[in-house]
Amino acid sequence: MGDFFMALVESTDQARRDFETHPVALGAVADGLSVERYRKLLLELYQIVWHFNPVCAAAASRIPDSHRQVRYFLYRHMQEESGHEQWVGNDLEAIGVASATLPSHRPSASTLAVIGYNYWTADRRDPCSVLGMMYALEVIASVYGGAFASAVRESLLLVGDRGVSFIGSHATMDTEHMVHLREILNTVEGDSARQAIVESALVNFEFVTRIFAEI
Amino acid sequence: MNVPRPDSGIPGLLARPYRFLRLEWTSDLALLRVRTCVTPIQCFSLAGIAEMQRVLDDISLNPGLVRHLVVSSDVTGVFNFGGDLSLFSLLVRAQDAESLRLYGRKCIDMVWWLETAAQRGVHTTVLVQGDTLGGGLESVMPFHKVIFERSAQAGFPEVLFNLFPGMGAWHYTIRKAGFAVANDMVLSGKLFTAEQLYRRSLVDLVVDDGRGEAALDHVVRSIDPRLRGTLVALQGQRLAAPITYESLSATVDLWAEAALALTTRDLRLMERLARAQVRKVGGADEGALHEIKRIELDTAWGEERTGITEWTTLG
Repeated sequence: MGDFFMALVESTDQARRDFETHPVALGAVADGLSVERYRKLLLELYQIVWHFNPVCAAAASRIPDSHRQVRYFLYRHMQEESGHEQWVGNDLEAIGVASATLPSHRPSASTLAVIGYNYWTADRRDPCSVLGMMYALEVIASVYGGAFASAVRESLLLVGDRGVSFIGSHATMDTEHMVHLREILNTVEGDSARQAIVESALVNFEFVTRIFAEI
Repeated sequence: MNVPRPDSGIPGLLARPYRFLRLEWTSDLALLRVRTCVTPIQCFSLAGIAEMQRVLDDISLNPGLVRHLVVSSDVTGVFNFGGDLSLFSLLVRAQDAESLRLYGRKCIDMVWWLETAAQRGVHTTVLVQGDTLGGGLESVMPFHKVIFERSAQAGFPEVLFNLFPGMGAWHYTIRKAGFAVANDMVLSGKLFTAEQLYRRSLVDLVVDDGRGEAALDHVVRSIDPRLRGTLVALQGQRLAAPITYESLSATVDLWAEAALALTTRDLRLMERLARAQVRKVGGADEGALHEIKRIELDTAWGEERTGITEWTTLG
Protein backbone atom coordinates (compact mmCIF):
# COMPACT_ATOMS: atom_id res chain seq x y z
CA MET A 1 0.00 0.00 0.00
CA GLY A 2 0.97 3.63 -0.41
CA ASP A 3 2.35 5.49 2.58
CA PHE A 4 4.19 4.34 5.67
CA PHE A 5 1.14 4.54 7.93
CA MET A 6 -0.69 2.01 5.80
CA ALA A 7 2.42 -0.13 5.58
CA LEU A 8 2.53 -0.11 9.38
CA VAL A 9 -1.15 -1.00 9.60
CA GLU A 10 -0.61 -3.91 7.23
CA SER A 11 2.63 -5.12 8.81
CA THR A 12 1.11 -5.21 12.25
CA ASP A 13 -2.47 -6.16 11.37
CA GLN A 14 -2.15 -9.75 12.46
CA ALA A 15 -0.60 -8.71 15.78
CA ARG A 16 -3.56 -6.36 16.29
CA ARG A 17 -5.99 -9.14 15.47
CA ASP A 18 -4.08 -11.54 17.74
CA PHE A 19 -4.73 -9.08 20.56
CA GLU A 20 -8.36 -8.56 19.53
CA THR A 21 -9.05 -12.27 19.26
CA HIS A 22 -7.21 -13.47 22.35
CA PRO A 23 -9.82 -15.23 24.48
CA VAL A 24 -9.29 -12.91 27.44
CA ALA A 25 -9.56 -9.77 25.29
CA LEU A 26 -12.58 -11.23 23.48
CA GLY A 27 -14.25 -12.01 26.77
CA ALA A 28 -13.39 -8.62 28.23
CA VAL A 29 -14.85 -6.74 25.27
CA ALA A 30 -17.95 -8.93 25.13
CA ASP A 31 -18.74 -9.38 28.81
CA GLY A 32 -16.43 -7.15 30.82
CA LEU A 33 -14.24 -8.37 33.70
CA SER A 34 -14.65 -9.27 37.33
CA VAL A 35 -13.57 -6.52 39.68
CA GLU A 36 -10.52 -8.53 40.75
CA ARG A 37 -9.29 -8.97 37.20
CA TYR A 38 -10.05 -5.37 36.28
CA ARG A 39 -7.99 -4.23 39.29
CA LYS A 40 -5.11 -6.41 38.14
CA LEU A 41 -5.33 -4.99 34.63
CA LEU A 42 -5.39 -1.36 35.78
CA LEU A 43 -2.46 -1.95 38.10
CA GLU A 44 -0.42 -3.18 35.14
CA LEU A 45 -1.65 -0.40 32.87
CA TYR A 46 -0.71 2.16 35.50
CA GLN A 47 2.93 1.15 35.08
CA ILE A 48 2.78 1.45 31.32
CA VAL A 49 1.12 4.87 31.48
CA TRP A 50 3.53 6.03 34.17
CA HIS A 51 6.52 5.18 31.98
CA PHE A 52 4.95 6.44 28.73
CA ASN A 53 6.24 9.99 28.94
CA PRO A 54 9.71 9.05 30.24
CA VAL A 55 10.08 6.67 27.26
CA CYS A 56 8.97 9.48 24.94
CA ALA A 57 11.43 11.86 26.60
CA ALA A 58 14.26 9.34 26.26
CA ALA A 59 13.45 8.97 22.57
CA ALA A 60 13.09 12.71 22.01
CA SER A 61 16.53 13.33 23.50
CA ARG A 62 18.09 10.93 21.00
CA ILE A 63 16.21 11.79 17.84
CA PRO A 64 18.57 13.29 15.25
CA ASP A 65 17.89 16.68 13.72
CA SER A 66 16.96 14.94 10.48
CA HIS A 67 13.79 13.80 12.26
CA ARG A 68 13.20 16.95 14.26
CA GLN A 69 9.50 16.93 13.35
CA VAL A 70 9.18 13.70 15.36
CA ARG A 71 10.89 15.36 18.30
CA TYR A 72 8.45 18.28 18.22
CA PHE A 73 5.56 15.82 17.90
CA LEU A 74 6.78 14.02 21.00
CA TYR A 75 7.00 17.28 22.95
CA ARG A 76 3.35 18.06 22.14
CA HIS A 77 2.21 14.53 22.82
CA MET A 78 3.97 14.34 26.17
CA GLN A 79 2.19 17.55 27.17
CA GLU A 80 -1.18 16.00 26.26
CA GLU A 81 -0.49 12.75 28.08
CA SER A 82 0.98 14.35 31.16
CA GLY A 83 -0.89 13.31 34.29
CA HIS A 84 -2.90 10.54 32.63
CA GLU A 85 -1.53 8.03 35.11
CA GLN A 86 -3.67 9.88 37.64
CA TRP A 87 -6.74 8.91 35.61
CA VAL A 88 -5.75 5.27 36.08
CA GLY A 89 -5.20 5.98 39.77
CA ASN A 90 -8.67 7.52 40.04
CA ASP A 91 -10.22 4.51 38.30
CA LEU A 92 -8.41 2.22 40.71
CA GLU A 93 -9.74 4.25 43.63
CA ALA A 94 -13.25 3.85 42.18
CA ILE A 95 -12.91 0.08 42.30
CA GLY A 96 -11.40 -0.08 45.73
CA VAL A 97 -7.62 0.24 45.28
CA ALA A 98 -6.11 3.10 47.26
CA SER A 99 -3.59 5.27 45.39
CA ALA A 100 -1.21 4.91 48.31
CA THR A 101 -0.78 1.24 47.47
CA LEU A 102 0.32 1.87 43.86
CA PRO A 103 4.05 2.31 44.56
CA SER A 104 4.19 -1.04 46.32
CA HIS A 105 2.56 -2.93 43.43
CA ARG A 106 4.99 -5.27 41.74
CA PRO A 107 4.41 -5.24 37.95
CA SER A 108 4.19 -8.52 36.09
CA ALA A 109 7.13 -9.81 34.08
CA SER A 110 5.34 -8.93 30.84
CA THR A 111 4.79 -5.36 31.98
CA LEU A 112 8.40 -5.00 33.01
CA ALA A 113 9.53 -6.57 29.74
CA VAL A 114 7.59 -4.22 27.49
CA ILE A 115 8.58 -1.14 29.47
CA GLY A 116 12.19 -2.28 29.42
CA TYR A 117 12.01 -2.95 25.71
CA ASN A 118 10.59 0.50 25.02
CA TYR A 119 13.45 2.21 26.89
CA TRP A 120 16.03 -0.06 25.29
CA THR A 121 14.86 0.35 21.70
CA ALA A 122 14.66 4.14 22.10
CA ASP A 123 18.20 4.11 23.46
CA ARG A 124 19.94 1.42 21.46
CA ARG A 125 17.91 0.63 18.33
CA ASP A 126 16.34 3.76 16.88
CA PRO A 127 14.59 6.51 18.84
CA CYS A 128 11.81 6.71 16.21
CA SER A 129 10.74 3.30 17.50
CA VAL A 130 8.77 5.19 20.13
CA LEU A 131 6.17 5.82 17.43
CA GLY A 132 5.58 2.07 17.23
CA MET A 133 4.84 1.98 20.94
CA MET A 134 2.49 4.93 20.54
CA TYR A 135 0.75 3.31 17.57
CA ALA A 136 0.07 0.02 19.36
CA LEU A 137 -1.14 1.69 22.55
CA GLU A 138 -3.24 4.23 20.65
CA VAL A 139 -4.90 1.52 18.54
CA ILE A 140 -5.72 -0.53 21.62
CA ALA A 141 -7.01 2.52 23.49
CA SER A 142 -9.01 4.09 20.67
CA VAL A 143 -10.32 1.10 18.72
CA TYR A 144 -11.06 -1.23 21.62
CA GLY A 145 -11.18 1.19 24.56
CA GLY A 146 -14.77 2.31 24.01
CA ALA A 147 -16.22 -1.18 23.73
CA PHE A 148 -14.09 -2.39 26.63
CA ALA A 149 -15.17 0.54 28.81
CA SER A 150 -18.84 -0.18 28.00
CA ALA A 151 -18.44 -3.85 28.84
CA VAL A 152 -16.65 -3.16 32.13
CA ARG A 153 -19.18 -0.48 33.05
CA GLU A 154 -22.02 -2.96 32.48
CA SER A 155 -20.36 -5.88 34.23
CA LEU A 156 -19.32 -3.89 37.31
CA LEU A 157 -22.42 -1.67 37.38
CA LEU A 158 -20.29 1.47 37.27
CA VAL A 159 -21.93 4.82 36.67
CA GLY A 160 -20.77 7.15 33.89
CA ASP A 161 -17.00 7.38 33.52
CA ARG A 162 -16.35 6.44 37.12
CA GLY A 163 -13.87 3.59 37.12
CA VAL A 164 -13.44 3.59 33.32
CA SER A 165 -12.24 7.14 32.67
CA PHE A 166 -8.84 6.01 31.41
CA ILE A 167 -9.79 3.08 29.21
CA GLY A 168 -12.61 5.07 27.63
CA SER A 169 -10.62 8.28 27.25
CA HIS A 170 -9.20 7.66 23.77
CA ALA A 171 -12.35 6.27 22.22
CA THR A 172 -13.95 9.49 21.04
CA MET A 173 -13.20 10.96 17.65
CA ASP A 174 -12.47 14.43 18.99
CA THR A 175 -9.06 13.54 20.41
CA GLU A 176 -7.64 13.16 16.86
CA HIS A 177 -4.64 11.29 18.25
CA MET A 178 -4.71 8.76 15.43
CA VAL A 179 -4.85 11.54 12.85
CA HIS A 180 -1.77 13.23 14.25
CA LEU A 181 0.02 9.92 14.62
CA ARG A 182 -0.70 9.01 10.98
CA GLU A 183 0.56 12.39 9.83
CA ILE A 184 3.83 12.13 11.74
CA LEU A 185 4.40 8.51 10.75
CA ASN A 186 4.13 9.47 7.10
CA THR A 187 7.01 11.92 7.54
CA VAL A 188 9.43 9.27 8.80
CA GLU A 189 12.06 8.43 6.19
CA GLY A 190 14.65 5.67 6.22
CA ASP A 191 14.46 1.91 6.47
CA SER A 192 16.12 1.74 9.87
CA ALA A 193 13.63 4.06 11.54
CA ARG A 194 10.65 2.44 9.81
CA GLN A 195 11.74 -1.07 10.69
CA ALA A 196 12.26 -0.04 14.30
CA ILE A 197 8.74 1.42 14.41
CA VAL A 198 7.20 -1.75 12.99
CA GLU A 199 9.17 -3.91 15.42
CA SER A 200 8.17 -1.77 18.37
CA ALA A 201 4.48 -1.91 17.41
CA LEU A 202 4.67 -5.70 17.11
CA VAL A 203 6.42 -6.06 20.47
CA ASN A 204 3.93 -3.76 22.20
CA PHE A 205 0.91 -5.58 20.73
CA GLU A 206 2.47 -8.88 21.78
CA PHE A 207 3.14 -7.84 25.35
CA VAL A 208 -0.12 -6.04 25.93
CA THR A 209 -1.81 -9.23 24.74
CA ARG A 210 0.25 -11.17 27.28
CA ILE A 211 -0.66 -8.71 30.02
CA PHE A 212 -4.34 -9.27 29.24
CA ALA A 213 -3.80 -13.02 29.12
CA GLU A 214 -2.18 -13.03 32.55
CA ILE A 215 -4.76 -11.10 34.53
CA MET B 1 -10.57 -37.27 -3.10
CA ASN B 2 -7.47 -37.48 -5.31
CA VAL B 3 -4.65 -35.00 -4.92
CA PRO B 4 -2.69 -34.52 -8.16
CA ARG B 5 1.07 -35.00 -8.38
CA PRO B 6 3.02 -32.14 -6.82
CA ASP B 7 4.58 -31.02 -10.11
CA SER B 8 1.45 -29.42 -11.57
CA GLY B 9 -0.18 -26.07 -10.73
CA ILE B 10 -2.92 -27.19 -8.40
CA PRO B 11 -0.68 -29.17 -6.02
CA GLY B 12 1.50 -26.13 -5.68
CA LEU B 13 -1.60 -24.16 -4.76
CA LEU B 14 -2.76 -26.80 -2.32
CA ALA B 15 0.65 -26.99 -0.73
CA ARG B 16 0.78 -23.33 0.22
CA PRO B 17 0.65 -22.76 3.97
CA TYR B 18 -2.76 -21.13 4.46
CA ARG B 19 -3.74 -19.90 7.88
CA PHE B 20 -7.32 -18.88 7.16
CA LEU B 21 -8.31 -21.23 4.35
CA ARG B 22 -8.66 -24.97 3.95
CA LEU B 23 -8.40 -26.25 0.41
CA GLU B 24 -9.59 -29.54 -1.08
CA TRP B 25 -9.27 -30.84 -4.59
CA THR B 26 -11.70 -33.17 -6.36
CA SER B 27 -9.94 -34.28 -9.51
CA ASP B 28 -12.84 -35.85 -11.44
CA LEU B 29 -14.67 -32.51 -11.38
CA ALA B 30 -11.54 -30.32 -11.34
CA LEU B 31 -13.19 -28.78 -8.32
CA LEU B 32 -11.34 -26.59 -5.88
CA ARG B 33 -13.15 -26.32 -2.56
CA VAL B 34 -12.17 -23.39 -0.37
CA ARG B 35 -13.33 -23.36 3.24
CA THR B 36 -12.78 -20.06 4.99
CA CYS B 37 -11.88 -19.88 8.65
CA VAL B 38 -10.75 -16.46 9.83
CA THR B 39 -10.94 -17.41 13.47
CA PRO B 40 -12.35 -16.49 15.79
CA ILE B 41 -14.15 -13.61 14.07
CA GLN B 42 -14.92 -14.60 10.50
CA CYS B 43 -14.51 -11.38 8.52
CA PHE B 44 -12.47 -9.89 5.69
CA SER B 45 -9.24 -9.23 7.52
CA LEU B 46 -6.29 -8.01 5.47
CA ALA B 47 -4.53 -11.35 5.87
CA GLY B 48 -7.68 -13.29 5.01
CA ILE B 49 -8.21 -11.21 1.87
CA ALA B 50 -4.58 -11.72 0.86
CA GLU B 51 -4.91 -15.50 1.17
CA MET B 52 -8.13 -15.64 -0.82
CA GLN B 53 -6.68 -13.39 -3.54
CA ARG B 54 -3.62 -15.67 -3.72
CA VAL B 55 -5.89 -18.62 -4.39
CA LEU B 56 -7.74 -16.71 -7.09
CA ASP B 57 -4.47 -15.56 -8.66
CA ASP B 58 -3.15 -19.11 -8.64
CA ILE B 59 -6.26 -20.30 -10.45
CA SER B 60 -5.75 -17.57 -13.06
CA LEU B 61 -2.12 -18.57 -13.49
CA ASN B 62 -3.16 -22.15 -14.27
CA PRO B 63 -5.84 -21.74 -16.93
CA GLY B 64 -7.93 -24.83 -17.55
CA LEU B 65 -6.99 -26.62 -14.35
CA VAL B 66 -9.93 -25.55 -12.21
CA ARG B 67 -13.43 -25.94 -13.62
CA HIS B 68 -15.38 -25.41 -10.41
CA LEU B 69 -14.62 -23.12 -7.49
CA VAL B 70 -16.74 -23.80 -4.43
CA VAL B 71 -16.55 -21.63 -1.31
CA SER B 72 -18.06 -22.20 2.12
CA SER B 73 -17.28 -21.35 5.73
CA ASP B 74 -15.73 -23.61 8.32
CA VAL B 75 -17.09 -21.47 11.16
CA THR B 76 -20.31 -22.87 12.61
CA GLY B 77 -23.21 -20.47 12.32
CA VAL B 78 -21.28 -17.77 10.48
CA PHE B 79 -20.49 -17.41 6.79
CA ASN B 80 -18.89 -14.00 7.01
CA PHE B 81 -19.44 -10.88 9.12
CA GLY B 82 -18.09 -8.66 6.33
CA GLY B 83 -15.47 -5.98 6.76
CA ASP B 84 -12.99 -5.92 9.61
CA LEU B 85 -14.84 -3.42 11.81
CA SER B 86 -11.83 -2.79 14.03
CA LEU B 87 -9.67 -2.00 11.01
CA PHE B 88 -12.38 0.38 9.74
CA SER B 89 -12.51 2.04 13.12
CA LEU B 90 -8.73 2.44 13.14
CA LEU B 91 -8.61 3.94 9.65
CA VAL B 92 -11.59 6.21 10.27
CA ARG B 93 -10.01 7.47 13.48
CA ALA B 94 -6.83 8.12 11.51
CA GLN B 95 -8.93 9.85 8.78
CA ASP B 96 -7.00 7.78 6.26
CA ALA B 97 -9.09 7.89 3.09
CA GLU B 98 -6.38 6.40 0.93
CA SER B 99 -6.04 3.30 3.09
CA LEU B 100 -9.81 2.86 3.23
CA ARG B 101 -9.86 3.07 -0.56
CA LEU B 102 -7.05 0.54 -0.82
CA TYR B 103 -8.90 -1.82 1.52
CA GLY B 104 -12.02 -1.42 -0.59
CA ARG B 105 -10.06 -2.11 -3.77
CA LYS B 106 -8.70 -5.34 -2.31
CA CYS B 107 -12.30 -6.37 -1.71
CA ILE B 108 -13.54 -5.47 -5.19
CA ASP B 109 -10.55 -7.22 -6.74
CA MET B 110 -12.04 -10.45 -5.34
CA VAL B 111 -15.49 -9.41 -6.52
CA TRP B 112 -14.11 -8.65 -9.97
CA TRP B 113 -12.37 -12.01 -10.19
CA LEU B 114 -15.70 -13.71 -9.49
CA GLU B 115 -17.46 -11.43 -11.96
CA THR B 116 -15.02 -12.54 -14.70
CA ALA B 117 -14.69 -16.16 -13.57
CA ALA B 118 -16.65 -17.51 -16.54
CA GLN B 119 -14.12 -15.92 -18.89
CA ARG B 120 -11.44 -17.84 -17.01
CA GLY B 121 -13.32 -21.09 -17.57
CA VAL B 122 -14.37 -21.38 -13.94
CA HIS B 123 -17.90 -21.90 -12.61
CA THR B 124 -18.37 -20.58 -9.08
CA THR B 125 -20.70 -21.81 -6.35
CA VAL B 126 -21.06 -20.64 -2.76
CA LEU B 127 -22.72 -22.38 0.17
CA VAL B 128 -23.93 -20.14 3.00
CA GLN B 129 -24.75 -21.99 6.23
CA GLY B 130 -24.83 -19.11 8.71
CA ASP B 131 -25.04 -15.35 9.23
CA THR B 132 -23.60 -13.19 6.50
CA LEU B 133 -23.55 -9.44 6.83
CA GLY B 134 -22.44 -6.44 4.80
CA GLY B 135 -19.30 -7.32 2.90
CA GLY B 136 -20.00 -10.97 3.62
CA LEU B 137 -23.21 -10.78 1.61
CA GLU B 138 -21.50 -8.68 -1.06
CA SER B 139 -18.89 -11.41 -1.43
CA VAL B 140 -21.63 -13.99 -2.03
CA MET B 141 -23.57 -12.20 -4.72
CA PRO B 142 -21.10 -12.41 -7.65
CA PHE B 143 -21.04 -16.23 -7.48
CA HIS B 144 -22.78 -18.02 -10.34
CA LYS B 145 -24.77 -20.24 -7.97
CA VAL B 146 -25.74 -19.14 -4.47
CA ILE B 147 -27.00 -21.80 -2.06
CA PHE B 148 -28.32 -20.92 1.41
CA GLU B 149 -29.24 -23.28 4.19
CA ARG B 150 -32.65 -22.35 5.58
CA SER B 151 -31.55 -20.87 8.92
CA ALA B 152 -28.97 -18.54 7.35
CA GLN B 153 -29.79 -14.84 7.49
CA ALA B 154 -28.19 -11.92 5.70
CA GLY B 155 -28.40 -8.20 5.25
CA PHE B 156 -26.60 -4.92 4.79
CA PRO B 157 -26.57 -3.23 8.23
CA GLU B 158 -24.19 -0.43 7.22
CA VAL B 159 -26.88 2.24 7.00
CA LEU B 160 -27.52 1.78 10.72
CA PHE B 161 -24.16 3.41 11.39
CA ASN B 162 -24.42 5.95 8.57
CA LEU B 163 -22.45 4.03 5.99
CA PHE B 164 -23.43 1.92 3.00
CA PRO B 165 -22.11 -1.33 1.56
CA GLY B 166 -19.56 -0.13 -0.98
CA MET B 167 -18.09 -3.27 -2.54
CA GLY B 168 -20.72 -4.33 -5.03
CA ALA B 169 -23.96 -4.51 -3.04
CA TRP B 170 -25.78 -2.00 -5.23
CA HIS B 171 -24.44 -3.46 -8.46
CA TYR B 172 -25.32 -7.06 -7.77
CA THR B 173 -28.61 -6.48 -6.00
CA ILE B 174 -29.83 -4.28 -8.85
CA ARG B 175 -28.65 -6.79 -11.44
CA LYS B 176 -30.27 -9.76 -9.75
CA ALA B 177 -33.37 -8.27 -8.15
CA GLY B 178 -33.91 -4.75 -9.48
CA PHE B 179 -33.90 -1.26 -8.02
CA ALA B 180 -36.82 -1.66 -5.65
CA VAL B 181 -35.32 -4.64 -3.87
CA ALA B 182 -31.88 -3.00 -3.83
CA ASN B 183 -33.35 0.13 -2.25
CA ASP B 184 -35.18 -1.93 0.33
CA MET B 185 -32.12 -3.98 1.24
CA VAL B 186 -29.43 -1.31 1.25
CA LEU B 187 -31.37 1.64 2.63
CA SER B 188 -33.25 -0.18 5.38
CA GLY B 189 -30.40 -2.11 6.96
CA LYS B 190 -32.90 -4.91 7.49
CA LEU B 191 -32.06 -8.57 7.79
CA PHE B 192 -33.48 -11.18 5.46
CA THR B 193 -34.06 -14.88 5.85
CA ALA B 194 -32.87 -17.34 3.24
CA GLU B 195 -36.44 -17.68 2.01
CA GLN B 196 -36.86 -13.93 1.67
CA LEU B 197 -33.62 -13.71 -0.30
CA TYR B 198 -34.75 -16.58 -2.52
CA ARG B 199 -38.04 -14.82 -3.24
CA ARG B 200 -36.01 -11.74 -4.23
CA SER B 201 -33.90 -13.83 -6.66
CA LEU B 202 -30.70 -13.18 -4.72
CA VAL B 203 -30.36 -16.82 -3.74
CA ASP B 204 -30.67 -19.63 -6.27
CA LEU B 205 -31.41 -22.47 -3.92
CA VAL B 206 -32.57 -22.82 -0.31
CA VAL B 207 -32.12 -26.18 1.36
CA ASP B 208 -32.84 -27.45 4.83
CA ASP B 209 -30.09 -27.13 7.40
CA GLY B 210 -27.58 -29.94 7.01
CA ARG B 211 -28.49 -30.49 3.34
CA GLY B 212 -26.07 -27.89 1.96
CA GLU B 213 -23.28 -30.29 1.12
CA ALA B 214 -25.59 -32.59 -0.79
CA ALA B 215 -27.04 -29.62 -2.66
CA LEU B 216 -23.55 -28.44 -3.57
CA ASP B 217 -22.66 -31.82 -4.97
CA HIS B 218 -25.89 -31.97 -6.94
CA VAL B 219 -25.45 -28.48 -8.39
CA VAL B 220 -21.84 -29.01 -9.44
CA ARG B 221 -22.47 -32.46 -10.94
CA SER B 222 -25.49 -31.24 -12.87
CA ILE B 223 -23.59 -28.28 -14.33
CA ASP B 224 -20.35 -30.09 -15.14
CA PRO B 225 -21.58 -32.01 -18.23
CA ARG B 226 -22.80 -28.76 -19.81
CA LEU B 227 -20.09 -26.53 -18.38
CA ARG B 228 -18.81 -24.97 -21.63
CA GLY B 229 -22.27 -23.87 -22.68
CA THR B 230 -23.10 -22.63 -19.19
CA LEU B 231 -19.94 -20.54 -18.99
CA VAL B 232 -20.51 -18.97 -22.39
CA ALA B 233 -24.11 -18.24 -21.45
CA LEU B 234 -22.95 -16.64 -18.20
CA GLN B 235 -20.51 -14.45 -20.14
CA GLY B 236 -23.44 -13.40 -22.31
CA GLN B 237 -25.52 -12.70 -19.22
CA ARG B 238 -22.82 -10.36 -17.94
CA LEU B 239 -22.61 -8.61 -21.30
CA ALA B 240 -26.36 -8.09 -21.18
CA ALA B 241 -26.24 -6.61 -17.68
CA PRO B 242 -22.70 -5.29 -17.43
CA ILE B 243 -20.90 -4.31 -14.25
CA THR B 244 -17.58 -2.55 -14.73
CA TYR B 245 -14.51 -2.44 -12.52
CA GLU B 246 -14.53 1.34 -12.93
CA SER B 247 -18.03 1.57 -11.48
CA LEU B 248 -17.14 -0.71 -8.56
CA SER B 249 -14.03 1.36 -7.95
CA ALA B 250 -15.93 4.66 -8.04
CA THR B 251 -18.34 3.24 -5.47
CA VAL B 252 -15.42 2.31 -3.23
CA ASP B 253 -14.17 5.90 -3.48
CA LEU B 254 -17.59 7.17 -2.39
CA TRP B 255 -17.69 4.62 0.43
CA ALA B 256 -14.25 5.73 1.69
CA GLU B 257 -15.29 9.37 1.70
CA ALA B 258 -18.48 8.48 3.57
CA ALA B 259 -16.51 6.49 6.13
CA LEU B 260 -14.38 9.51 6.95
CA ALA B 261 -17.50 11.37 8.05
CA LEU B 262 -18.49 8.77 10.64
CA THR B 263 -18.97 10.22 14.10
CA THR B 264 -18.18 8.83 17.53
CA ARG B 265 -21.84 7.70 17.76
CA ASP B 266 -21.55 5.83 14.47
CA LEU B 267 -18.34 4.15 15.61
CA ARG B 268 -20.01 3.19 18.88
CA LEU B 269 -22.76 1.45 16.92
CA MET B 270 -20.10 -0.35 14.90
CA GLU B 271 -18.49 -1.36 18.16
CA ARG B 272 -21.81 -2.70 19.43
CA LEU B 273 -21.98 -4.89 16.37
CA ALA B 274 -18.39 -5.97 16.86
CA ARG B 275 -19.13 -6.84 20.50
CA ALA B 276 -22.15 -8.84 19.40
CA GLN B 277 -20.01 -10.74 16.90
CA VAL B 278 -17.63 -11.54 19.72
CA ARG B 279 -20.49 -12.82 21.89
CA LYS B 280 -21.64 -15.09 19.08
CA VAL B 281 -18.11 -16.42 18.75
CA GLY B 282 -18.12 -17.07 22.48
CA GLY B 283 -21.09 -19.35 22.06
CA ALA B 284 -23.90 -16.98 22.97
CA ASP B 285 -27.26 -17.58 21.33
CA GLU B 286 -27.57 -13.95 20.40
CA GLY B 287 -25.05 -12.49 17.99
CA ALA B 288 -24.67 -9.68 15.53
CA LEU B 289 -28.08 -10.27 13.95
CA HIS B 290 -29.88 -9.72 17.23
CA GLU B 291 -27.77 -6.67 17.91
CA ILE B 292 -28.72 -5.23 14.51
CA LYS B 293 -32.36 -5.67 15.43
CA ARG B 294 -31.76 -3.93 18.75
CA ILE B 295 -29.87 -1.06 17.07
CA GLU B 296 -32.66 -0.65 14.55
CA LEU B 297 -35.26 -0.64 17.28
CA ASP B 298 -33.24 1.85 19.34
CA THR B 299 -32.95 4.07 16.30
CA ALA B 300 -36.62 3.71 15.52
CA TRP B 301 -37.62 4.68 19.06
CA GLY B 302 -35.11 7.51 19.10
CA GLU B 303 -36.25 8.99 15.83
CA GLU B 304 -39.89 7.94 16.05
CA ARG B 305 -39.53 6.14 12.78
CA THR B 306 -41.98 3.62 11.47
CA GLY B 307 -41.78 0.64 9.18
CA ILE B 308 -39.97 -1.77 11.48
CA THR B 309 -42.72 -4.29 11.81
CA GLU B 310 -40.84 -6.91 9.83
CA TRP B 311 -38.32 -7.21 12.63
CA THR B 312 -40.82 -9.00 14.75
CA THR B 313 -41.16 -11.69 12.14
CA LEU B 314 -37.46 -12.39 12.07
CA GLY B 315 -36.87 -13.16 15.71
